[in-house]
Amino acid sequence: MINGTDKILVCCGTSCIANGALDVADAIEAELRARNLGESVEVQVTRTGCSGECEQGPIVRLMPRDTMYYRVKVADAAAIVDSLEGELATKLLYKRDGETYEHMDDNPFYALQHKVVLKDVGIIDPLSLDDYRARGGYEGLKKALEMTPEQIIDEVEKSGLRGKGGAGFPTGRKWRSAASYDEWPHYIVCNGDEGDPGAFMDGSTMEGSPHAVIEGMIIGALAICAEEGVLYIRDEYALARDHIQHAIDDAYAAGILGESIMGTKHKLDLSIVRGGGAFVCGESTALMASIEGRVGEPRAKYIRSVQRGLFDHPTVLNNVETLASIPTILREGAEAYARIGTEGSKGTKVFAMVGKVKHTGLVEVPMGTTLRTLIYDIGGGIIDDRPFKAIQTGGPSGGCIPESLLDLPVDFDTLTEYGAMMGSGGMIVMDDRSCMVEVARYYVDFLCEESCGKCTPCREGLRQMRAILTDICEGRGKPGDIELLERICHTMEDASLCALGRTAANPVLTTIKFFRDEYEAHINDKTCPAGVCAKLTQFAIEADVCTGCGMCSRACPAGAIAGERKQAHVIDPAKCIACGSCREACRFNAVLTERRPA
Amino acid sequence: MSETITITIDGKECTCEKGEYLYDVAKRNGIFIPVFCRHDAFEDHRACCRICIVEVEEGGRSKVVTSCVYPVERECNVQTRSEKIMEERSVIMALLAHRAPEAASFKPMVGRVGTVETDRLVTLDGEKCILCALCVQACNSLGTGAISTVNRGTEKMIDTPYGKESAACVGCLSCANVCPTGAIEYSEDDAVRTIWNREFELIRCGECGQIMGTRDSLALAAGNNEVPAVCDECRKKHMADEMMATYRYV
Repeated sequence: MINGTDKILVCCGTSCIANGALDVADAIEAELRARNLGESVEVQVTRTGCSGECEQGPIVRLMPRDTMYYRVKVADAAAIVDSLEGELATKLLYKRDGETYEHMDDNPFYALQHKVVLKDVGIIDPLSLDDYRARGGYEGLKKALEMTPEQIIDEVEKSGLRGKGGAGFPTGRKWRSAASYDEWPHYIVCNGDEGDPGAFMDGSTMEGSPHAVIEGMIIGALAICAEEGVLYIRDEYALARDHIQHAIDDAYAAGILGESIMGTKHKLDLSIVRGGGAFVCGESTALMASIEGRVGEPRAKYIRSVQRGLFDHPTVLNNVETLASIPTILREGAEAYARIGTEGSKGTKVFAMVGKVKHTGLVEVPMGTTLRTLIYDIGGGIIDDRPFKAIQTGGPSGGCIPESLLDLPVDFDTLTEYGAMMGSGGMIVMDDRSCMVEVARYYVDFLCEESCGKCTPCREGLRQMRAILTDICEGRGKPGDIELLERICHTMEDASLCALGRTAANPVLTTIKFFRDEYEAHINDKTCPAGVCAKLTQFAIEADVCTGCGMCSRACPAGAIAGERKQAHVIDPAKCIACGSCREACRFNAVLTERRPA
Repeated sequence: MSETITITIDGKECTCEKGEYLYDVAKRNGIFIPVFCRHDAFEDHRACCRICIVEVEEGGRSKVVTSCVYPVERECNVQTRSEKIMEERSVIMALLAHRAPEAASFKPMVGRVGTVETDRLVTLDGEKCILCALCVQACNSLGTGAISTVNRGTEKMIDTPYGKESAACVGCLSCANVCPTGAIEYSEDDAVRTIWNREFELIRCGECGQIMGTRDSLALAAGNNEVPAVCDECRKKHMADEMMATYRYV
């Protein structure tokens, strides 16, 4: 319980666990026991959800003095316990651009963030209902229980909250619409099938603050008079599922769920449905088909789910992040929430920022923050200060945004106007060593496997685009390929059955739109300007620049690099597989890319 | 009495009931819209081939819809052959023709709908199936549910569960008969029909010797698991003979 005494928070999000956080927590607890502090109420070790800067994990935070330690190892346990009263373990503090930061708020990674959805993530024990309640949890629900469904919907509408799964549909309007149908029962469903490559916003939210999602669902259920709800969580999110199930069980035990919500006449049952791991099941109607036990294919009907959704009944389907925003809106009031963000997009947005950015992780910022702020001020810029090339937003349905659009505010509408989109929140930062044709090919390849395959434009369009893009990447591109790709793309946009198919062309269309010269170089000159496409690229070492450190030859998986120590190294083109490992390894920029002769 | 609405399709005024599918209205009015995955035998349509797209203008906004499942809810202006539709249909046609190059039955449609002239599209050699899944619908509506779409994305296909012989299949050939491209293969000799990797015993009429069907399909149709001894025609003939013998007229 949070009670103002010393606490040691150990981030136990998926990423930190992978880096050994559980062992670190055990070691700290053992250290406390060894010093007879373990039994005292003064110091508690709390295993929390994701603290955000995943790359720097495991992260340990001392409260209430708010000291944050990064890249903590088991051997650091003693130093951490020492620092409860004594000197700081300076070597574990956050360092950036020569500065050292002790507190979270000073740290530039967090300073520009505004946490609503993630406000408790990384602070509370996700398995503790008391922790959640101590920070205002279920206060929003209490308010909602004193309101009529109409009043709850009014409040959510006033907040300006829009669906954060990417589509941005106004949540209040969705609820109002579902509530209006006089056909019973109504259902509320939480979409936890997050599947965009590189995205982990919803997973981290469910792991770190499961009660927030559940509270949001209960409030939504009250608004639309639903007595049954389902959380559809993708199979790969085992930890999220465990935490949500734990939270559901605790909520039942505490009388928050079940026959009587907090002693009122309202009732609600929640259960988890495990997704089978299909990306397409994040699409609303495919998700519902999957819950019903049918093949996870979208349905081809011009009837919205709010009218006929799960089991053909009025259904509200909201994304995890949307639902986790609801408790704060009810507790703090719609006006407070609407003060955050831009005119058309209120509140905050959580992003999972990965790729060639110095500080990767989970960030939550007000809507309207620019991409430049995200990448440079929060993320610290590009690794090795290489030139920025593009940021891929919104996963396979999103687009690749070039440097010229970095100062646009990120919200639901602005990027769309420029032919890109914000999407669900996945962001992959790319430097000048990324080939945009290859990026398009990667996403098309991903979708070839993850489309449901039901309708012709999506299934066959993707198959043909994959073939054409592979040809272009391998030097077999022909004049007219770009135009053919565009024709297929436009047909997919208009004629595909579901949103996955209608947006599947985005990675191709945006890379053509913003990086057309790169396509043309591949097709006409048979070169890959970024030096990525192996069939078009060969590597060479600039003898004047090479220091003979040998990093490249150690990195080369093909044994193609030879050279004496402190002498310029040489690549044998006959052995070189053009993987680019040498270029990644070289710290002196001595590895050059050249056009591979046909 | 349901509400009637007057809409315009390609300049022609058409009257329809509210909620009627656009494709049905067009067809009744003699306006051609190509379809592959739609069959009159079924009430629900999968709308997966997407060749039946048309442009609908409603309240000043134009959108592309699939006519086979688009319900007419209000007055609208429909274009079935606009430049956009013809372009996109020809792309879809090209995609289908390259997917199923052996689907001979819809080659004439290529001429009618148009296609994309290019040598840059890959073909699936020997493929006949266009994945309209009418076979699955037929099988499901019989209550057998022996086949389904399996896999996803470009690997999608129609098959029995895990590609094994299906205990649910009765070998009735409904799937093969409804298939618009002849993609479902089966073979028959005197006594055995082979389909979906399974052999079925063929039953002949005890009188005329005609093939009546497989033992499983006849038992399913009879509902009581009993296989009739004679075919329908012979049974009727018997009844007629008996009536004649009793009443001296039929």
